[in-house]
Amino acid sequence: MTAPALALSGLTIRDRSGTALVCDVDLTLEAGSVLLLIGETGSGKSLIAQAVMGLLPAGFSASGSIAINGHAPVEASQAGLLRLLWSRETLLLPQEPRAALDPTMRIAPQLWDAGARDGTAWHGEAGHGLTTQEALAAVDLPPRVSRAFPAELSGGMAQRVLVASALVGRAPLVVADEPTKGLDAARVAQSAALLASLGGAGRALLVITHDVALARALGGQLAVLRDGRIVEQGPADTVFAAPDHPYTRAWLAADPSTWRPCLRCCDLEAPVLSAHGLSFGFSRAEPLFSGVDVHIPPGGILGLTGRSGCGKTTLGNILLGLQPPSAGAVNWQGVDPYRDRAGARRLRQRYQKLHQDPASVFLPGRSFARQFADLAEVVPGLVLDDALPPLLERLRLDRKLLARRPGEVSGGEAQRLALARILLLKPALIVADEPTSRLDPLVQREAIALLAEIVASESLGLVLISHDRALLAATADEVLDIGAGEGATILPGYARGLQEASS
Amino acid sequence: MSAARSSFWPGGAAGTVLRIVASRLVQAVLTALVLASLCFAFVQALPGDAALRIAAARSGDDRVTAESVARVREQEGLDRPVLAQYASWIGRLAQGDLGHSLVSRQPVWQELAEHGRFTLGLGALGWLLSYAIALPLGIACGFRPGGWLDRGTNALAVALASMPSFLVGIGLISLFALTLRWLPPAGFRTGAHMVLPALTLALGLAAFSVRIIRNAVVEVRGAFYMTFARIRGRSAGSAFLHHGVRNAAIPVATFAALQFAYVVDGFVVVETLFNYPGLGDLLVKSLLARDVPMIMGAGMVVGLMYAAVNLLADLACIGLDPRRLAGRGA
Amino acid sequence: MTLALTHPPARIRRPLVAPLLLLGGLAALVVIGPLVIPHDPAAQDLVRTLEGPSAQHWLGTDHLGRDIAARLVHGGVRSLGIAVSCVGFATGVGVALGLVAAYAGRVADIAIMRLADLMLAFPGLLLALLISGFLGGGVLPMLIGIKLALWPQFARMARAIAIGELAQPHVEAARLAGFPALTILRRHVLPPVLRQTVTLATLGLGAAIMSISSLGFLGLGLQPPTPEWGAMISELLPYLAEAPVQMAAPCLAIFLAVLGATLLGQALAEPPALPEEM
Repeated sequence: MTAPALALSGLTIRDRSGTALVCDVDLTLEAGSVLLLIGETGSGKSLIAQAVMGLLPAGFSASGSIAINGHAPVEASQAGLLRLLWSRETLLLPQEPRAALDPTMRIAPQLWDAGARDGTAWHGEAGHGLTTQEALAAVDLPPRVSRAFPAELSGGMAQRVLVASALVGRAPLVVADEPTKGLDAARVAQSAALLASLGGAGRALLVITHDVALARALGGQLAVLRDGRIVEQGPADTVFAAPDHPYTRAWLAADPSTWRPCLRCCDLEAPVLSAHGLSFGFSRAEPLFSGVDVHIPPGGILGLTGRSGCGKTTLGNILLGLQPPSAGAVNWQGVDPYRDRAGARRLRQRYQKLHQDPASVFLPGRSFARQFADLAEVVPGLVLDDALPPLLERLRLDRKLLARRPGEVSGGEAQRLALARILLLKPALIVADEPTSRLDPLVQREAIALLAEIVASESLGLVLISHDRALLAATADEVLDIGAGEGATILPGYARGLQEASS
Repeated sequence: MSAARSSFWPGGAAGTVLRIVASRLVQAVLTALVLASLCFAFVQALPGDAALRIAAARSGDDRVTAESVARVREQEGLDRPVLAQYASWIGRLAQGDLGHSLVSRQPVWQELAEHGRFTLGLGALGWLLSYAIALPLGIACGFRPGGWLDRGTNALAVALASMPSFLVGIGLISLFALTLRWLPPAGFRTGAHMVLPALTLALGLAAFSVRIIRNAVVEVRGAFYMTFARIRGRSAGSAFLHHGVRNAAIPVATFAALQFAYVVDGFVVVETLFNYPGLGDLLVKSLLARDVPMIMGAGMVVGLMYAAVNLLADLACIGLDPRRLAGRGA
Repeated sequence: MTLALTHPPARIRRPLVAPLLLLGGLAALVVIGPLVIPHDPAAQDLVRTLEGPSAQHWLGTDHLGRDIAARLVHGGVRSLGIAVSCVGFATGVGVALGLVAAYAGRVADIAIMRLADLMLAFPGLLLALLISGFLGGGVLPMLIGIKLALWPQFARMARAIAIGELAQPHVEAARLAGFPALTILRRHVLPPVLRQTVTLATLGLGAAIMSISSLGFLGLGLQPPTPEWGAMISELLPYLAEAPVQMAAPCLAIFLAVLGATLLGQALAEPPALPEEM
């Protein structure tokens, strides 16, 4: 029997103040197999990866032992010894793949380990004799990438380059830290296939992730980390099918693909917003999208999706009157904001946006209370003392938060404060641009549920922009995929809702 | 991806270089134009008869006659409208005719070439000396940020940066010329005369560049691609040579051009202090004597040199940093 | 520096103490000095030339028998006053033009930035030198020259910061809420612009003091017999060996003033907030 690729026993990691961020973790990764380590932000999962690589930040201390590829166990505090294993025994696929590449050097020379400078791969037990072009082809990159500079690659392409370098390298243990961070849903599947190809090439994989979709796609052994402790572990299939620990159950339930869509009936005759034949493009270039029609009834939720860079945010801004379209017209309850200036000014406050980074809509360094008070300047008849308390209660926000400043509240709280700010303006329609992409799954589920509830009770229109199709499928009445080939594809939604309501 | 495509086609790269050269050329032409206009305006604004002044400058004050003044007026077109005079003034400059010095009566070009030789020698020596000081010191500090060498160098650099160059020069004269009597305090005849002026310039330059070099080294050493190169099996030294040096050189090269502004202040003041007959000395003397053609000539040479140095730095950065070619700088 | 006072740091941080004391002390000296020192800075006494420090002449006399201490403090009022006025002007004009360039559309942006580029095409002192030279020295040409050379840096920096701020979601949110443009500029854009230009202004103060004294040293700044630090140094230069104390006094004054400004700028700049060139 071969020795495990990685065996952690009693791994504990403390920060400068001595607080234990990771407690007494035991994990085993068999040679050539996959171990998934999942948990939310702050659960300590990335620290484990750093400890294995001997890369803990200065001031952090580790105890316990780490055994790699059958070598004698090393005390976890001996970062220097762990670093001796770099390249020969261990390789890291870092969170930010582009930062790992020298920006001033072409890709080809960066693909190779220092020991393989002749341009042919190291021929070890596994016997992979790949050329640069073969390695790039193995990760689905065109040959010209070898002559490109890192700045010319997307994040996803840079990650492929690093996987290719793991393929031509000799390290049997590969640690992937958040490999799907910042990738949209369509790319997660590709990323999983890419990592699986490494497994196919005989590498053992330790994958650190918070992405349930990636975990489902990869399979293997699974360990769930919470507050620095492992709460559950076992084969991924088993854990997903029958989660044992309540935390794991909550975590899996927060995955949008398990949500049940709610189907409602809306008043289709008096839309809060409609638009016809919208297109947008920068001069001379191909238009990003064209011929987009939008129709949002009060209480209706329109999902907007598409690959990154397809113009989702731009379309949202066009609907909000922030960016004139190249062609087509927007209709705000009978007013075209780009042609009727007086009407646009009258209705301005009724069309609002919920930003991706909720804290950033508040002026830094100014308390929330003052910023809410500022709104009275532009909202006639707003009496904050009357309007704010019930709103805060409804959004489950503590009054004490108002004394704080942006940056002093959690992501979920900032999201709800931003929502409160918008609701004070009495909107007819909200464009929410990736409102939950920076939140942990459990918080995301809560935030989306709250948004949907408010949309229904206030009869607002909502445009929900997201790259997460599962989330949209579970939340929106209608989903518009821009940039999906020619023009826009509309998945009929209201019709379905009406049908089911009448039957 | 259009950015990515452009660098696969050589035309994109050449286009970027051309664009940079063109923009610096425009800078040079504009500088010259502004200077020429300033000088023209100044001459127009001088009280008294310009023809009389020129005639006096040509033949001596006591030999000026009404005929010679009239001849000058006709020859120089001083009876024409101001705009026509301005156009012919610019036209003559465009052909490279800078005129004659009002003081020495030599052609301006000749004087500039004579003095420029001295300045070029001094500038080159000062520049080389400054990097001979700043490079090893800056790199050493960058490898041990916060160490005693780093803190000491920083304190010294801040102190030097807080002195106009004549203070540095006076300090050096007091020490090496008056107290130790190793070197001559002023003059230009032998190599020894160059040492103190060049050192003054070099110290002023190094006070800034040592910090830039140190910060570039610190930043590059902290970059993740350096760690990753080591994860991929390079030693610390090999990673620095392969990835660090080139990346650290980019901000240093960019800064070298900005420093030229300091060199201008530097050599004007240093040449005056050490009585060294370079362009700066020439500029100050002509300013004091209100020798307009000379002022314009010297100012123009300095302005054009600045544009040329900026151009060189731009091109050096492109050579070091291929990202600029991908058209991402805009 | 009025600017520094409108946006004070919450508490005076430790690195700020030393430079503030240094600059405050110098300012106090040049303000109180003329009241305490009985000598006329221009009064010559050809019997007592190049005398060392004594009870009567605290810092000795120069080659014309004038009191060094008196010339030092009278010169300081001018040097520091002119420097502050130049930096104040450059900050005000630069920030205003930078904001206009960032906000008022393409035409204004191109016009203002081209003008700034034109000024920046003259390296260092050259512009101030030429203008002083053409206009014959004295306070006014020097003021014009230094101000013209300084403002483009402030305009560039203010524009860069303002463009960054205008792209922030909080500006978009304020626009969507219907706040008027002036309120947005005043509340969302101006404070960060001022916060970051204070550093540049402080460093600019040092640069202005150096420019003024360099022009004085070259004989192209304030004209004699007006006392000025740089001019004093150039007058005393031939007597460097005989009058080291008299020479050291203005040298030290320039050094300490610039050092105070540099240290203050560095302390304000932490965490580093200087804009990237190019």
